[in-house]
Amino acid sequence: MRFALRLLLRDLRSGDILTLIIALIISVSTVTAISLFIDRLQLSFEKESASLMAADRMIRSDDEIPQHWQQKARELSLQHAENIAFRTMVFAGEALQLGQLSAVTDSYPLRGSFLVDTTLFGAGKTTVSPPQQGQIWVSSRLASLLNISIGEQVDVGETKLTVSGFLVRDPGSTSSAFAVSPRAVMNLADLAATGVIIPGSRVRYSLLLAGSNEALDAYQNWVTPQLNDGQRWRTPVQKGERIGDTIHKAQSFLLLAGTLAVILSGIAIALASSRFVKRHLMQVAVLKTLGATPGGLVKLFSIQFLVLFVFGIVFGLAMGWLIQGLISSLLSDLMSTALPEPSINRLWLGVATGFVSMLAFCLPMMQRLIKISPMSVLQPALKLEQNTLLIYSLGFIGMYALMCLYTEGFLLPSIMTLAIVGIGLTVSLVGFGVFRLGRSLTSGATSGWQIGLASLYRRLVPNLFQLLVFTLIIMLGLILVGVKTSLISDWQQQLPANAPNHYLFNVQTHQIEAINQLSNELKVPRSDWYPMIRGRVVAVNDTPIQTLYPEGQGEPELYERELNLTWSDSLSRGNKLVSGDFTANGLSIEQTVAEEAGLNLGDELAINIGGNPVTLPITSIRLVDWGSMQPNFYLILPKATLQDYTANFVSSVFVSDADAQAFYQKMAQFPTVSMLNVGELLKQIQTVISQLSQAIQLVLICILSAGALVLLASVRATLEERLEEGALLRVLGARKALVQQSLFVEFGALGLFSGLIAAAGAEACLYGLQVFVFNAQASWHPLLWGLGPLIGIVIICAIGISASRTVLKVPPMHLLREF
Amino acid sequence: MAVKTAIKVKNLTHTVTANTGDLTILKKINMEIKEGESVAIIGASGSGKSTLLGLLAGLDINTAGDIYLYDHAFSEMDEEQRAILRGQYVGFIFQSFHLLPSLQAVENVMLPAELKGDKDARQKAEALLSKVGLSERLTHYPNQLSGGEQQRVAIARAFASSPKILFADEPTGNLDEGNGKIIIDQLFDLNHTHGTTLVMVTHDNELAQKCDRQLVMSAGQLVEN
Repeated sequence: MRFALRLLLRDLRSGDILTLIIALIISVSTVTAISLFIDRLQLSFEKESASLMAADRMIRSDDEIPQHWQQKARELSLQHAENIAFRTMVFAGEALQLGQLSAVTDSYPLRGSFLVDTTLFGAGKTTVSPPQQGQIWVSSRLASLLNISIGEQVDVGETKLTVSGFLVRDPGSTSSAFAVSPRAVMNLADLAATGVIIPGSRVRYSLLLAGSNEALDAYQNWVTPQLNDGQRWRTPVQKGERIGDTIHKAQSFLLLAGTLAVILSGIAIALASSRFVKRHLMQVAVLKTLGATPGGLVKLFSIQFLVLFVFGIVFGLAMGWLIQGLISSLLSDLMSTALPEPSINRLWLGVATGFVSMLAFCLPMMQRLIKISPMSVLQPALKLEQNTLLIYSLGFIGMYALMCLYTEGFLLPSIMTLAIVGIGLTVSLVGFGVFRLGRSLTSGATSGWQIGLASLYRRLVPNLFQLLVFTLIIMLGLILVGVKTSLISDWQQQLPANAPNHYLFNVQTHQIEAINQLSNELKVPRSDWYPMIRGRVVAVNDTPIQTLYPEGQGEPELYERELNLTWSDSLSRGNKLVSGDFTANGLSIEQTVAEEAGLNLGDELAINIGGNPVTLPITSIRLVDWGSMQPNFYLILPKATLQDYTANFVSSVFVSDADAQAFYQKMAQFPTVSMLNVGELLKQIQTVISQLSQAIQLVLICILSAGALVLLASVRATLEERLEEGALLRVLGARKALVQQSLFVEFGALGLFSGLIAAAGAEACLYGLQVFVFNAQASWHPLLWGLGPLIGIVIICAIGISASRTVLKVPPMHLLREF
Repeated sequence: MAVKTAIKVKNLTHTVTANTGDLTILKKINMEIKEGESVAIIGASGSGKSTLLGLLAGLDINTAGDIYLYDHAFSEMDEEQRAILRGQYVGFIFQSFHLLPSLQAVENVMLPAELKGDKDARQKAEALLSKVGLSERLTHYPNQLSGGEQQRVAIARAFASSPKILFADEPTGNLDEGNGKIIIDQLFDLNHTHGTTLVMVTHDNELAQKCDRQLVMSAGQLVEN
């Protein structure tokens, strides 16, 4: 043990061990930094989404929530609050208006805050407690419709409440996009006295919960079996919602970045191990002649690798922790809330990376060392028996396992592994052909070109391997740049600065002209008008929904509630035809809804519209971009079917902060028109997007730096032979320029081809990623085809030439003595 | 008292598989080397000298016949046992020195003793290095030493484990005449002091003549014993 450590310490001076430790530290720290950072971002977004929902989790129910459910929350030390939402008439003297009211407990909201102001249409001040008993906060819109001000009283059912503030935003409101009536919030303690909730009233009960994930999970497990079909368990980030989708894509990107970091780590450790083995083969053979037994050597190397592993892991984890701290602090200005602390239990991923890398790359290499015949000391040309395929297969399997562990899935690792295999084959074929062609075109050693091209062919196998490594590293970089660019431009495109931030509902045909005029006067951009008629799907292919889902269990959203239906002659913005014919005389259905309900073209839906059943076949399926903030619909019917029904119209407008007051006041002349402000939600999304864009850029820089380091290591790995040759050329009287030129040609050619193949590989990977991982449309990336070869030539030449400059500076004698 | 037999070879044949088919490198060799004897193996390049040396030292396994090192039969041992035997009985000197580049001169000499677990490895190594005239060079790395100095370190290392048999493969092959002479003198001097058996492969006739006996190899066979 002590001998092993002494030998290790002595070896440290030679630099080979150091290279291995550095590779291990880079691997562990990159993976740790990224996984910790992703974790913090995720926690932060969960928190922000929670503030939109006012809680970490929520149970939404059509019936009163049983008392013992709250008791259970208390038992699990969960914070809880209640919100009972209902529509009722609010009276102020002679004036009356239908309002959307929330009665909340004193603990509401558990997450996020209210924005309340004392001036009409004011911007609002943050407050975390609801109105006190006897008080009510009404929206400026409701106040102006009722013509009331602060301190005055309104009647809600049989009780009087005093208006103590104008509600600008309440944290739970954005989660319901169709709460279109003007809002008001009161204390739950006053609800009984109003007497408005009677059997049969349409009331939505919510039990809000907040606390530790473990307690929430325990609660969910306990309550889920008790939920009836009118009750739902909700989490803040629901898939398909705009913000959830953005975060989901960003997570996929970061996961991809992490996966690529894993591959880079693998390459780094493989390179370092192979250098270590190469330089130790003869030493081990000598040790064997001195009486070192195979068993003793296994022990010796096991101890050494174990020490290296522990050292590399500890330093790697510490570095990773520091790097993610640095990334987070660089991002802190952008974050609306402080990032939650990184959790220690995410560190296992770094440990696993180090462990698997060591196992997959170091152990097979160690086996080569132990198997070396002591006879090779006498006969250096003796070939080492080695199972190269086994070594690489083990490395490959290890890397794949790590990626699966990292992404908790198989899709991304499989795409990346396929890409690497493809790249390996391409590199072998292209490299062999090109190097051979280069050699056959040149003969002699009179120019740097000839020497450089000849070197490429002479060291064919090492050069092919180096070409593969260069290609992989450049490809990984290009993939990240490609994904980042298209992701960010995609987001920016989807949410332009003037994306509509208000929906206008319940607009009657005769009001459209006046509202158009009003918006034109104020120069408020507006989308088209869409007719809206309510209807409910009652049967599919002649089978009633009640028969299909007697208990309501697992009922798709399409059948669950009344839908907003519309008609349209042409596909509107944000809609893409997936299959069928949009103009045919039938239904057009949104793709995800159709998938959820298992519906296809030709299926017939019976829809109850105002008491009249209408049966139509599905004739087209659309993909809807819910992020476009345009009014969008699950079902679009033919105009002929709907035109006889009385329709309300809906549109969306963008109202800037400066225009808001004027717009609200002018809209007050249309008391029946409902307005939903989604500006806060939009701002939230835009903040998230800019945070994520920044985060992605930083992670990209982090990975590319690690990539550059690995590139440097891989150039250095084969430098010795090149330096020796350069020194020989110098001894034979070659001018500095000739040696320089030959190195330039060799590295330049390696850079050019690796860049080109990398661009092709990246393009192929991006196709796979866009289609399968990001669910986006595949597109070409011309930028990569320029960037790849450019990076290849410039960076590899720069690293190669700068590392080789000793050949040109130091007297050749010195160099030759080194070898 | 009868002199012990250090090495005994019976019908030794060694065949390797090459691209062109099986190649017999050593053919039916029989010989004995007594304890304390110095033997030179000479012959043309490719006659099988180094292979024979390697097999005698247990660095590889012969395909047929038997080799006994102090009555231990190599053919009955696995690599683990052969390594232990080498550690106990054998020392080596190579043409290209084979010092570990990351270790200082003294650390290179300490290696065999350390492998055995000796506590006073350093003192022994320092004493041996001063015997070969390198007491001023203890902490130098191999690449800071001349060829002659490196071979002297190698000699010190070879004697560090107090071997009973010393195998030398062209010990002066990479050295000039002056350095070669110093090495030879030190080698025979230490050999004499320690009573070691010496088995040496060489092209140098003068060096071979210094040994008690010369074995001449030709085309894998012992033609003169």
